[in-house]
Amino acid sequence: MRFTRRRFLGGAAAAALGGAGIYELVDQLAQSPRRPTHTPTPTQAHGPLPPEQHVFDLRTVSSEGIEVLVPPLHSEVVTATVKTDDLRGAQHELEQTLARLDAEYAPNPAGLGVTVAWGLPYFHERVAAAARTHLPFDRRARKPVLLPTRRFPSDPDTTRLESNDVAVLLRSDRLDHIDAARKAIFDDLDVFDVASIRRGFAGGAFDGGKSLPQQLAVAAGVPGADLIPDGAELFLGFTSTQKAGLGPRLIANHETLGFVDLRGGYFHGGTHMHLSHINEDLEAWYLNFDFDERVLTAFQPGMTQVRPGAQTVPQGPGNVASAAETARKFRQTGRFGHSGPIQATSRLLQRVVGPDGTVYEQGTAIPQRADFNTLDNPFAFSSNPAEDKLDKTPAAGVHFVVFNPSGDDFERNRLAMDGVLPDGTKLEVSARSRAQGFNSVLTTTHRQNFLVPPRRHRSFPLAEL
Amino acid sequence: MRATLVGVVAAVALIVAFPAAAAHPKSCPSAWAAGWQKLANTIQAPVYCPTWMPNPLDAKIGGQYIDIDSVNKDRSYLISFLEHGDEGSGDVHVNFRGYPGRTTIPRCTTVVLTGKKAIRGTTPCFADKAGTQTANGITASVYRVNQDADQWHILLAWHHAGSLYTVSEHVIQPYTYAQVVHNLDRLLAGLVLVRPEG
Repeated sequence: MRFTRRRFLGGAAAAALGGAGIYELVDQLAQSPRRPTHTPTPTQAHGPLPPEQHVFDLRTVSSEGIEVLVPPLHSEVVTATVKTDDLRGAQHELEQTLARLDAEYAPNPAGLGVTVAWGLPYFHERVAAAARTHLPFDRRARKPVLLPTRRFPSDPDTTRLESNDVAVLLRSDRLDHIDAARKAIFDDLDVFDVASIRRGFAGGAFDGGKSLPQQLAVAAGVPGADLIPDGAELFLGFTSTQKAGLGPRLIANHETLGFVDLRGGYFHGGTHMHLSHINEDLEAWYLNFDFDERVLTAFQPGMTQVRPGAQTVPQGPGNVASAAETARKFRQTGRFGHSGPIQATSRLLQRVVGPDGTVYEQGTAIPQRADFNTLDNPFAFSSNPAEDKLDKTPAAGVHFVVFNPSGDDFERNRLAMDGVLPDGTKLEVSARSRAQGFNSVLTTTHRQNFLVPPRRHRSFPLAEL
Repeated sequence: MRATLVGVVAAVALIVAFPAAAAHPKSCPSAWAAGWQKLANTIQAPVYCPTWMPNPLDAKIGGQYIDIDSVNKDRSYLISFLEHGDEGSGDVHVNFRGYPGRTTIPRCTTVVLTGKKAIRGTTPCFADKAGTQTANGITASVYRVNQDADQWHILLAWHHAGSLYTVSEHVIQPYTYAQVVHNLDRLLAGLVLVRPEG
């Protein structure tokens, strides 16, 4: 008997899409009558902007009886290097541009969200002395908050660890708002060299019908696209933005949970951002995992009561398995799933009262995810296409964006995804085994850590010192 | 060495392999009939012979594309045809199964490796039912997640005279998921029942 081979099906997708640009297609499919309308609104009309750049208020709806946040339809990340030596001049220019965008667009998906994040190369090479004094320190981990980017056990050797100076996250229901912001920051100003542009989309079907990821994947002819369930928020078929599974408003701030030393307080109101690109093998997901196994894989072993076809599966504090329970289930079943082990590290182990008096109950989620699906392969644009292995053929993937109080906090969660539990337990599975959740169908191509300063220092942080 | 698979463009055109499917198939194609008749005689139960196969396969048991020709002690059978493309050009892989005297979906063994330990279990061999397809008087259930030789295949399963039968095709280039579904429609429409002799 001979075994057949699986290969990544680039040719078919390219043939299906033909010469059309995939993001022209996004624009066509996004012309939904249900999409919120936007009237340019002066800042004063929607009140003062929050001190945090990463806070982006989303409306909630009920999905299958569970409260979920409605993500912006479109997201884009532009990474760049700083090309000017006049940092103070650049700081002034960029801040003026950002302030104009703040004034023009409401800070919600009908308007525009702009988050400017800075990488270690910027802090080490451009403002090194001030960074040594002011960059926050993670007391719990005894490490700087902004860590060098690393690979994780399930990452292939080919995962590229990036070294961008800056990443700008743009979020909106309106592509024209994102386009205008990109142009204002990267075309009209002469301070950055763009390294990459990463585009994507999420949701669009909480009111019924086909979601934007589903429509786009089918239109692009991505392998496995026909298998995405109707209404799926993301390619893999489960809703990932349920409110109880995401950190509340300020929890990801450096200062909220108390384990970050803010030193002089310059970065008070800031956070840590991890950015990665991950390829998703949709055919493998939908043709090799039946629904029950997709549930066990996406969540945790033992979830046998999920309604067939459900997309929004409860993931509240009451559904969290402890690390010990995760290890026990693994010994019994050989699986530990995806969100199961992460829940044990990504939720509060005890009640915490934030510095502003906000009470965060035990079990509250900490990370704030802002991930979105993409057909970039791996990016829509790269200044270094050979090293980034840029391919014009659309490919299913996700641009993963998450905010945590520190880099170590992110790493704890990511390691748990690979079976490295917070008590040091290592669940022994091979690097890409289907026992460890999504890993057998995911391949991370790029990673980088960033620091998101508070809004008041978002433009070339520390350059004024 | 086998002929290299036709290219993507040619495959997309879904060229009909010899012999062409009839609108209402009446008999197993003569070039393939002997093998299917022998199979029916061996298991002493009817089998389904195809009258059309996706390019470039034929359905001659013992022919150049046969990959698995297997009959178990319980008389269940697996007949598999495969063209294995060179240089990543893809595969065309079609399986026919029959389970005389049973209509339940069989269970397949699963093995999960955890370090040095193997945890064994079972799972339905055909799962994730996604509707039905009807053609040629057969109403078949469509299964999307299948095991063993049918892994990564779309599979049609139906009952006849107290027995379970299946046909499946691998989703792999040069055929997309949509083309495989189309191919299975056509396979189902062209099936001919071959009864045991003697």
